[in-house]
Amino acid sequence: MADALTRSMRASHVLAAVLVVASLGFAAFGAASGDTFYLRLGTEALIFAGLALSVDILLGYTGLLSLGQALYFGLGAYLSALVLMVTPSFWAAMGATAIGAVVVGTIGGFIANRVRGVYFALITFGMAQVIAKVVYNTRALGASDGLIGVPVIDINLGLFKISSASPVGFFLVVLTFIIILYALAAYLLDTPFGRLLIALRANERRVPFLGYRTVTARLAAYVIAAVIAALSGALYPMLRGFVSPELLFFATSGNAVITVVTGGVGTLVGALYGSILLTLFKSVVGSYTEHHLIVIGLLFMGAVIFLPRGLMGIVRPVIERRLNRGAKS
Amino acid sequence: MSASVLEVRDLSVHFGGLRAVDNVSFAIARHRITTVIGPNGAGKSTLFNLISGAVRPRAGQVLIDGVDHTGEPPHRLQAAGLARSFQITNLFFELSVAENLRLAAQILEPMAMAWRPVAASRTALARVDELLERFGLTDKAPYPVGKLSHGEQRRLEVAVALACKPKVLLLDEPTQGMSHGDTEDTAKLIKSLSSDVTILLIEHDIGLVMSLSDHVIVMHQGQKLAEGTPAEVRGNPAVQTAYFGHA
Repeated sequence: MADALTRSMRASHVLAAVLVVASLGFAAFGAASGDTFYLRLGTEALIFAGLALSVDILLGYTGLLSLGQALYFGLGAYLSALVLMVTPSFWAAMGATAIGAVVVGTIGGFIANRVRGVYFALITFGMAQVIAKVVYNTRALGASDGLIGVPVIDINLGLFKISSASPVGFFLVVLTFIIILYALAAYLLDTPFGRLLIALRANERRVPFLGYRTVTARLAAYVIAAVIAALSGALYPMLRGFVSPELLFFATSGNAVITVVTGGVGTLVGALYGSILLTLFKSVVGSYTEHHLIVIGLLFMGAVIFLPRGLMGIVRPVIERRLNRGAKS
Repeated sequence: MSASVLEVRDLSVHFGGLRAVDNVSFAIARHRITTVIGPNGAGKSTLFNLISGAVRPRAGQVLIDGVDHTGEPPHRLQAAGLARSFQITNLFFELSVAENLRLAAQILEPMAMAWRPVAASRTALARVDELLERFGLTDKAPYPVGKLSHGEQRRLEVAVALACKPKVLLLDEPTQGMSHGDTEDTAKLIKSLSSDVTILLIEHDIGLVMSLSDHVIVMHQGQKLAEGTPAEVRGNPAVQTAYFGHA
């Protein structure tokens, strides 16, 4: 018998499966019509979905608001770009990013987890801003121009190779990769370790008396989120062929939080839907006006006021009830 | 192994000028119910905070099974076999009753199980069922704690503390705010627990204290005023003056 938290996670999986099917349909349609623009846009949406996923692990499960997740997304993007410019290997870039994220995430986690609540939010914000300014002013990292000229790579998947320049091929690679990150996160959150994170969000003060050191658990959540954000960021230069310091700026961190809140905090799958919604919205509105940030701001305010649980906060319980009914009969 | 499972030696803590707990020493015997009584502000809850690691003592020692655990944080004391409940219900309100118990019981699982789905945690889940049954909460298992009555929340508070199978259980006013009937049921439950765990209790209901306790410790203004069997304490003139308010 699955408990309530496992059942809500299953409802998220149903919604994730729907997203995968829709994405495959989208990819097939895109390939058939010879589209590039929308496939690239969809790929970007999925990459930022990975960043939003990491924010949801912290905000929706552990109860930590990070306003500096762009630090790790940017770290992944820069590391990946640097590795690819030396050796055009997908796995080398991903491996270097994972190791880099564990190291930097552990250091950042030690600093940020000394405090809680609003102070945690401010420290994460501060750390990301400091690193962003450092990168912005470092000539070796391309300063304000970023790193340009990241080569197109062939991603070796054992049985076959996919070029990062193929719109549909790379879309499918990113889709697979982000779904794996989602599945790993979902698996982890349904283990005793993951439930401990949920306990931290629910009532951190009781947790030490259950026999756990809360700092260790929060640090572990922080590092896991850092790795997921960085691995998502590592895909960015493969898509765009460049990285810019804007990836490290607050707008990136802030958008990820907006994505999660709009999509549904504490649902995981909300991060994926939220990112697609927001990316699409930005592109559509951006084609009419350059003041699209005003519209995004209004959308966010609307979501907070009218959909306080976000899009998936409304849809998921419906799925959950269906699943429960199915299980009982 | 020493006969007293929990021993406190010259324990003190000061808050500003206030001697909240002042040179308190006692030892409690295995599988007995020891109750700490005293007027409001006598230092009972602070004493619990010192023993459970919530507050660091300024002086003195806390020994569990003869091993010094003074000043250790709560999670270490839990590992040493000490668990506690709180005077003000301190649970995971948005989570279900069963999940509250499972979270408290998951420490019983080997470390490797931390990375397997919770549905595979047989030991913890069996413990949850056992506690639900024992505390009469089986029907309430799927409900969020916030939906329970006050009495049910108080009972769950004790069950969550007990879930990790501690050697010593500190219960801070488990019957606080309960109806008369609930109080009696809880007293019976606590009595039944003492066959496998040593209990240190804070309680205000004198009738309950007298019927439930094997041993009573009286605190007054941060100090231990007296200790003994319920009858001895009741007959102590100093206790009568300080606590019962008449000589």
